[in-house]
Amino acid sequence: MVLDITSAGARWKIRRDGEPKVTGRLKYLTDMSFPQMLYGTVLRSEHPHAKIESIDTKEAEELPGVASVITYRDVPGLNGFGIVIQDQPVLCEDKVRYVGDAVAAVAAETKEIAQKAISLIKVKYTPLQPVTDPEEALRDTTIKLHKDGNLLHQAAFQKGERQIEKSFKDCAFIVEEIYHTPRQMHAYMETEGGVAVPGSDGGITVYAPTQHGFKDQLQLSRILSIPPEKIRIISSPIGGSFGGKDELNIQPYITILALKTKRPVKIHQSRRVSIKAGLKRHPMKIYMKTGTDTGGKLLAHQVKIFADTGAYATLGPAVLDFAVEHSAGPYRIENVDVKGYSIYTNNGVAGEFRGFGGNQITFALETQIERLAEKIGISSTEFRMKNLRQTEDPGPVEQPIVPTDGAKAVLTELIKSPILQKKTDLNAGMDWKLKGRGYSITMHGGGLGYGRPDPSGARLSLNEEGKLEVSFGFEECGQGLISTIDMIMTETFNCDTNDVEITIGDTAKVPHSGSSTASRATNMVWLGVNKLKAPFIEKVLAGAEKQTNVSSEKLSLGKNGIWIYEEEKEEKLLLTYKELASSMDELPSVTTSYHFPTTPQSIDGGHFLYTFAGVAVEVEVDLLTGRVAVTKMDHVISAGPVVNPMGYLGQIEGGANMGLGFTLMEDAAMENGRYMTENLDTYLIPTILDIPKETKVFAIEDLVSGDTYGPRGVGEIGTVAVAPAIVSAIHDATGMWLNKLPIQADTILKAVEQKILSR
Amino acid sequence: MDANKLIEKTTSFKVNGKQIELTLPPTYRLVDILRDSLSLTGTKVACEVGRCGACSVIMNGKLVNSCLIMAYQMEDAEIFTIESLSEERLHPIQEAFLQAGALQCGYCTPGMIIALKSLLDEEEQPSKEDVLTALSGNLCRCTGYEGILRAVDLLTKKRHETIGEGKE
Ligand code: FES
Ligand code: FES
Repeated sequence: MVLDITSAGARWKIRRDGEPKVTGRLKYLTDMSFPQMLYGTVLRSEHPHAKIESIDTKEAEELPGVASVITYRDVPGLNGFGIVIQDQPVLCEDKVRYVGDAVAAVAAETKEIAQKAISLIKVKYTPLQPVTDPEEALRDTTIKLHKDGNLLHQAAFQKGERQIEKSFKDCAFIVEEIYHTPRQMHAYMETEGGVAVPGSDGGITVYAPTQHGFKDQLQLSRILSIPPEKIRIISSPIGGSFGGKDELNIQPYITILALKTKRPVKIHQSRRVSIKAGLKRHPMKIYMKTGTDTGGKLLAHQVKIFADTGAYATLGPAVLDFAVEHSAGPYRIENVDVKGYSIYTNNGVAGEFRGFGGNQITFALETQIERLAEKIGISSTEFRMKNLRQTEDPGPVEQPIVPTDGAKAVLTELIKSPILQKKTDLNAGMDWKLKGRGYSITMHGGGLGYGRPDPSGARLSLNEEGKLEVSFGFEECGQGLISTIDMIMTETFNCDTNDVEITIGDTAKVPHSGSSTASRATNMVWLGVNKLKAPFIEKVLAGAEKQTNVSSEKLSLGKNGIWIYEEEKEEKLLLTYKELASSMDELPSVTTSYHFPTTPQSIDGGHFLYTFAGVAVEVEVDLLTGRVAVTKMDHVISAGPVVNPMGYLGQIEGGANMGLGFTLMEDAAMENGRYMTENLDTYLIPTILDIPKETKVFAIEDLVSGDTYGPRGVGEIGTVAVAPAIVSAIHDATGMWLNKLPIQADTILKAVEQKILSR
Repeated sequence: MDANKLIEKTTSFKVNGKQIELTLPPTYRLVDILRDSLSLTGTKVACEVGRCGACSVIMNGKLVNSCLIMAYQMEDAEIFTIESLSEERLHPIQEAFLQAGALQCGYCTPGMIIALKSLLDEEEQPSKEDVLTALSGNLCRCTGYEGILRAVDLLTKKRHETIGEGKE
């Protein structure tokens, strides 16, 4: 089904949080202010790598209007944070490891005074040679950034009877290449910020966007050395995150300052600081060697991944595991040998980002597939079909997964795209422009994977106001989760939107549901509501029976309240939810906790549920400027039933154009550990003029029969296969293969000179 | 230096029809005046260098980036922010955004809507090219702009219909 307003019909539902957003009435957490509020600022490192000899805050403290200046000495508890490994100092003591490292922070009466105070803090550094090349960082002679050395994590996967070198001897065709991917920026429009408000009991309330309130609570409790129950995190709504706000950012500073000054403290980072201090997508260098027999059967696949994780761990290990797992994608290859390394450097910090390592490896893999098909002399579709996974096949690391024919379904549908139909006019109508077409497919795991705690929880209650109140620990990052919950609720209970109250993003009010990450929230909401459905209905109807003396068998939940069904009679509303609620001594409430479904086999990070996607694009290559324009884009997505069509479409469209940026323009380039780009005037993300003139999204909703896992998330998949599709289309237009993203006009021009003009 | 002793100046201007008088340093930025001094947080801030359009407002009938306007440029100015659009009911642009799914996190949305409003104030039936150019200074990281284009389509269709009806 082509997903659009028309095909979605009545399910094209206006977002509950839409009106406050279009009117500007919605208060984001960075919009909040409180009486007596102070403004905070953080002093960031001047060097990518340096020893701190001394920090002198005296002058700053004496500046009128300054309420507090803090350094590492003022961190009450653990001076470290990180979702998994707490290796990032809240405030550096003896060493800085990247240009965003925090050294001190200030709270003052105005932003200007805070800024001024920061400039008065004197830090004496002894600069050290920055480590900027991940491969070099692994050498014994390279200076160690952390006590265990520069290797954060390694991961490997082997498959096959034969040693990989030997299996290449059996190959008739081999392609061996090195791929490079950029340090992409999340570029959420709302930069990091928030307000911490101290309570009278020594506790604190933190209003700051994050993807996982309870994880912030836990981390802050270690840092502040106060029990988690005393820390309340309010974390929605979020002005965009894409993974970038999953890790703590300004929270440690506003909370320490607020507890010290006993006044609310706000920080809202400028874009410059956000770019310096914030997470990025892991740049990866991928060595890939792949071989087939004479007929095009994949025999051997050797991959080596070097991921630049920057100064601190954050989710570097998990991102690497994901890339290793997805190295062979949806293909079955006899012999596979993958090794991955996630390496500390002084290049910023890389962490979680939409696609989670899948984007990088899929670019390499799919380009490799296209190159091989060309070498063998068969169509890439025929080549893919020959090697594609089948419904019952195990997952990419040979783990048991939920049976799925997504790969084949996507490929079969995608090649019908009008974009890929026989080339009628390869000419763009201008001599200096060439048109080309290409496509790619991908397989993407949902949830955190085997061995990682991935629990979720939900609560359903009838509240005093007569609303069906549903609570989750998830966050509205913009993805449309509130609407998704709304739709799952109204469709499950046959009720009206007005009957539903949704509570999310507040640790004081919601159950633990895990992080809003890894395309997991939709799936977890669906599972949660379905688990609670029967016990909730039973309790509610039991109450209604007591109240009306009508047997609960004849009653059901519906719009506005409890409806009665009697044979041959028209159904009618018997009792409103409000009436029911006020008549009950104890309001019904049910809770559940459950885990994201995982593969039973103990393969660390191995996934169990997968989504599939394919992208077809048409490009126009301008031979005079070297610029590439994507003129048309079609997506085919296989993720089970579409819950929220508007949200689904938005995620794919938005993800796709983020992928377009990754391919054609975005790179937070660094030189010697310093960012070469400081704001959105030099770091370019796609504008409305850069996107394709036509984009279509085709949703495959069928799951293999007997599948009880429901709708899969689509938050990430739209970004993943875009790059290799564009690269393949550029090849179609020009005959050149590109291995490095983003694609530079220079590279194209050079190739044009060499290849096209000389032929 | 005593940071409290910044030179301040009284500036009077109108915001959404209301006369305002504030005593501020002349280099204080309009975006901060709106957000911090007047609590009009519908105007967003994202780049502070005039690149993203999140802070768009209409000043003296022209679209401006409020992060680039300073207090000393505002004497007697007349400013309209996103809050002015829906005082009674939603503006048709806002309706179209909701209908089309033209927003996700919504952080770019007020700026987008103001930019579009400014265009439609000037040109009743802008061409597609006009729309693309007018919105090219507004960045959105969430929607990929597809939803925003759908909103523009809805809006121009509606305008054509009402204009058509008017003629009959
Ligand atoms: S904040 Fe003014 S244009 Fe970006
Ligand atoms: S909706 Fe999030 S930036 Fe546009």
